[in-house]
Amino acid sequence: MNVKKTITLSSIILIVSLILSIGHGFIIPISAQKKQVTLSAIVAEPKERWDILFNGAQQKLREKHPDMDIKVDYRVLPYDATRTQILTAMAGRTPIDLISVDQIWLGEFAQGGFLSDLTDRAKSWGKQKDWYQTNWDGGKYNGKLYGIWAWTDIRAIWYWKDLLSKAGVNPDSLKTWNGYIADAKQLNNALKSQGIQGMHLVGASHSPDMWYPYLWMLGGEIVKQKSGHPSKGTYWFPAYNSIAGIKALEFLKQQVDAGIKPQINHFWGQEFADKKFAVMLEGSWLLGVFPHEQWNNINQKIGMLPMFPVPNIGNKSATMIGGWLLGIPETSQNKDLAWELLTTMVDPQVLTPMLQKEGYLPTQKPIGEGPYAATLNASIPYYKEMISMIPIGHSRPNIPEYPQIADNIKEAIDKVYYGIKDPKQALNEAAAKSAKVLGW
Amino acid sequence: MFASVEPYLFLTPAFAILLVFLIFPLFWNIYISLHDVSLVTIIKGWRYVGWENFLDLIEDSNFHTSLKVTLLFVAGSVALQFGAGLLISTLLNQKVRASGVLRAVFIIPWTISAVIAAFSFKFILDYNFGILNYLFDKIGLQPVNWLSDPNMVIWSIVIANMWYGTPFTMLFLTAGIFSINPTIYEAAIIDGATKIKSFFYITLPLLKPFIVINLILITMWSVNFFDLQLVMTGGGPLFASTTASLYMYRQAFEFGLLSKGAAAGLILVAINLVVTFNYIKLLRR
Repeated sequence: MNVKKTITLSSIILIVSLILSIGHGFIIPISAQKKQVTLSAIVAEPKERWDILFNGAQQKLREKHPDMDIKVDYRVLPYDATRTQILTAMAGRTPIDLISVDQIWLGEFAQGGFLSDLTDRAKSWGKQKDWYQTNWDGGKYNGKLYGIWAWTDIRAIWYWKDLLSKAGVNPDSLKTWNGYIADAKQLNNALKSQGIQGMHLVGASHSPDMWYPYLWMLGGEIVKQKSGHPSKGTYWFPAYNSIAGIKALEFLKQQVDAGIKPQINHFWGQEFADKKFAVMLEGSWLLGVFPHEQWNNINQKIGMLPMFPVPNIGNKSATMIGGWLLGIPETSQNKDLAWELLTTMVDPQVLTPMLQKEGYLPTQKPIGEGPYAATLNASIPYYKEMISMIPIGHSRPNIPEYPQIADNIKEAIDKVYYGIKDPKQALNEAAAKSAKVLGW
Repeated sequence: MFASVEPYLFLTPAFAILLVFLIFPLFWNIYISLHDVSLVTIIKGWRYVGWENFLDLIEDSNFHTSLKVTLLFVAGSVALQFGAGLLISTLLNQKVRASGVLRAVFIIPWTISAVIAAFSFKFILDYNFGILNYLFDKIGLQPVNWLSDPNMVIWSIVIANMWYGTPFTMLFLTAGIFSINPTIYEAAIIDGATKIKSFFYITLPLLKPFIVINLILITMWSVNFFDLQLVMTGGGPLFASTTASLYMYRQAFEFGLLSKGAAAGLILVAINLVVTFNYIKLLRR
């Protein structure tokens, strides 16, 4: 009798437990089981921006695919480690579904066969017209699309209003080369006793980035296509040692001659925020150095000119734009879903909150000028001015040899900074080295 | 039968580790240095190029500069690290109060990461923000371009390396000093030897094996070390702080020229072998 009772009681408990388990999702009936998909990604720091993007995109993707249990496993690495890690993973054929690609890495990655060709997918997607032309083209290598440029940055003139006022400098005079040089002297004289330098001049490894805008505004180019290459027919040839390049470098020399000291250490705007310099040519990320609480009234303290100084009033200025692209590695085993993830991440609804939080600039017109612009304009200081610079923005060549070419240019700039060579000699020597690097 | 094989069996694990982590990478490195391997070709076919990568290095003026910079960096670092290490270890071996605590304090630099040390020195020596120039300013001296003067920069890094590397020499030589029988010093005192004479006629000769091994190690480390240069200056200005090891790193990982980096690495191995061979000859003398 006791045995019978025990069996009955146990059966009841088992059935009730099973029902409860199903109800609470502990056991999923076979018919209700979802297909598990984990997309993996390697992206560059800072992490917060990716948390916003991946969480937003994952949510949307799950809604779109109720039959799937989609997870995104993303690793956020420091800038240098990201490149090495991606290349190691690609060389080892490790399946990864999405990577963040610095604009200057694209050529190297595409040439190495690491990135999937997105040209056809992008055609069917039909969103090309939404992107600023420069930003869309930045995702191309040899005519094929390998990445979607997600957000960008610009470089502009930033200045402390009180320091300029104290030195009796009119900010408008910073707009021309002559004015800039004269202001440097005036600011140095007025502020030297306080330990403040007038102008900042980049002497760090990215000094070429701050020279390119002068080259571009004078009509010059870093490299250009030329026929007669010994093995490639038509290929890139160094063009930066043109008259435009020499004039541009002469302007840097004038700055050094006027007492502006090239800064070998770079603190990405912190030196400006600490009032060590009255004027600094720096990227749009400079705002991020200031606490968000100060953004509301920052334009009362800090001024911004959306340009690089030009030779004469009326000349068209130029700036350099950088930023991050999203690409799908060739090794991805879920290319269709990875493309969906990518396109969802750059969807204005998902992307805009991140741009607003981090202060980055959009690569898409609907965010830059369209319905989303009002939100960004209200929260990011000088947003309108920064956006106005995108049309004059140029990007660096995304060819595999670019890092070596930039190193050659850096050497030329340093030689001029230290008075070892004049601009023409320095650039010609650098161009000869770059030509060799390019296989000429 | 087993007895004759047994010693070799005991050696197998060590040999396996050597094979996997030393011999194979060395030969793989030689293989890469004789082919055209870059980040662009790494998953494609590797073309055999013979000595081309080595010839490229020989023709590269920046590599020549890096060898000169390496010579200055290694000579300066070894001389200062060894001199300071020997001095500190000898002084702390005297009857100094709290010498144990002092030894522990002196070891601190060795315990921290080289990258952290590099960042610290980058901030200390910065022209605008650096504490050193701040102090100079306070005492009425002109600020110095510690890291942006091509003639000064390598010595600034040598000083940083001395700070970072001296504790090892101090520790190593302290172990050597502890191994010297104290009765030898007692006998010398009875014979009327001064402390300085004891140092030159007892301590130094008996420390010789420790000194040579220490010199081999700190020389090799200085030849291969590039953390400080990479973080503090990135090799600039004008390659004035680009040592051969940093040159190798930049070729392989910044420019993606793995073969050229491998060739530079082999040249560094050769330099280390020559230095070690000479030190060992010195030891046997």
